[in-house]
Amino acid sequence: MFFHITLERNMQLHPRHFGPHLRDKLVAKLMKDVEGTCSGRHGFVVAITGVEDIGKGLIREGTGFVTFPVKYQAVVFRPFKGEILEAVVTMVNKMGFFAEAGPVQIFVSNHLIPDDMEFQSGDMPNYTTSDGSVKIQKDSEVRLKIIGTRVDATEIFCIGTIKDDFLGVINDPGASA
Amino acid sequence: MSGEEEENAAELKIGEEFLKAKCLMNCEVARILDHKYDQLQQTSDDPTNQISQVFEKSMQYVKRFSRYKNPDAVRQVREVLSRYKLAEFELCVLGNLCPETVEEAIAIVPSIKSKGRMLEDDAIEKMLHDLSLIKKFE
Repeated sequence: MFFHITLERNMQLHPRHFGPHLRDKLVAKLMKDVEGTCSGRHGFVVAITGVEDIGKGLIREGTGFVTFPVKYQAVVFRPFKGEILEAVVTMVNKMGFFAEAGPVQIFVSNHLIPDDMEFQSGDMPNYTTSDGSVKIQKDSEVRLKIIGTRVDATEIFCIGTIKDDFLGVINDPGASA
Repeated sequence: MSGEEEENAAELKIGEEFLKAKCLMNCEVARILDHKYDQLQQTSDDPTNQISQVFEKSMQYVKRFSRYKNPDAVRQVREVLSRYKLAEFELCVLGNLCPETVEEAIAIVPSIKSKGRMLEDDAIEKMLHDLSLIKKFE
């Protein structure tokens, strides 16, 4: 799920940037440092939408750098266990398939794909029901439930399932529910 | 935050911080990112340089999965859903997935039927009906 939240960060700025454009420099540096990063707590920082407050700077002894506490608002993407969302399938193999929901990667193991779907290898590996009515392949859109998350320093990785009511392929007509 | 183990969106356990935060539906994110993208293109000579992979992937994703394209419709969805005493998170899951039946709505947002909540099936049905109307007249 995407959230709009307020975050705080201490920004260090080199003295050469002090002057009339200090604020602009600080904001530019904040965007460069923060956008695109990921933390386990807040998820992926997609975009900074505004700077709320810049506190008083504190000179660091010895270096001349100044630390400013900055409060800013950002759009973040944070997946949660138990959340249901839509994703695009990026890769299919006999172990299961990978899907992407925005910046996050989700793996759905073949144990968590309904039992009536069989793996078919070939140019376009896919999972298909025995009657051929439902097919999951690269670029399919699926609705899945996140059942586990693993947090890395720079990435969040999720495990999902489509073995539940109202989950599965959505862009395939006649396949919903 | 009450610890990673207890997290469960189905029971609305998403941590104090996120429970209070404003959730965004995909269509709202699409508008924000579009705006930001335009801004970047105007201010910088080489916009591709400034755009992170996370930004790009999110933008592609929300564009693909936006249910409502029209800004007015987006506002109406939020207004309609907010009449039903939903948590922000529930509101956005419903807005993103647009369930068609009451059973589907309960399956994707189990917390709306959890104890202590006053939402009856009839109310949920009415809510879904209101949503489908917005979609129809968009």
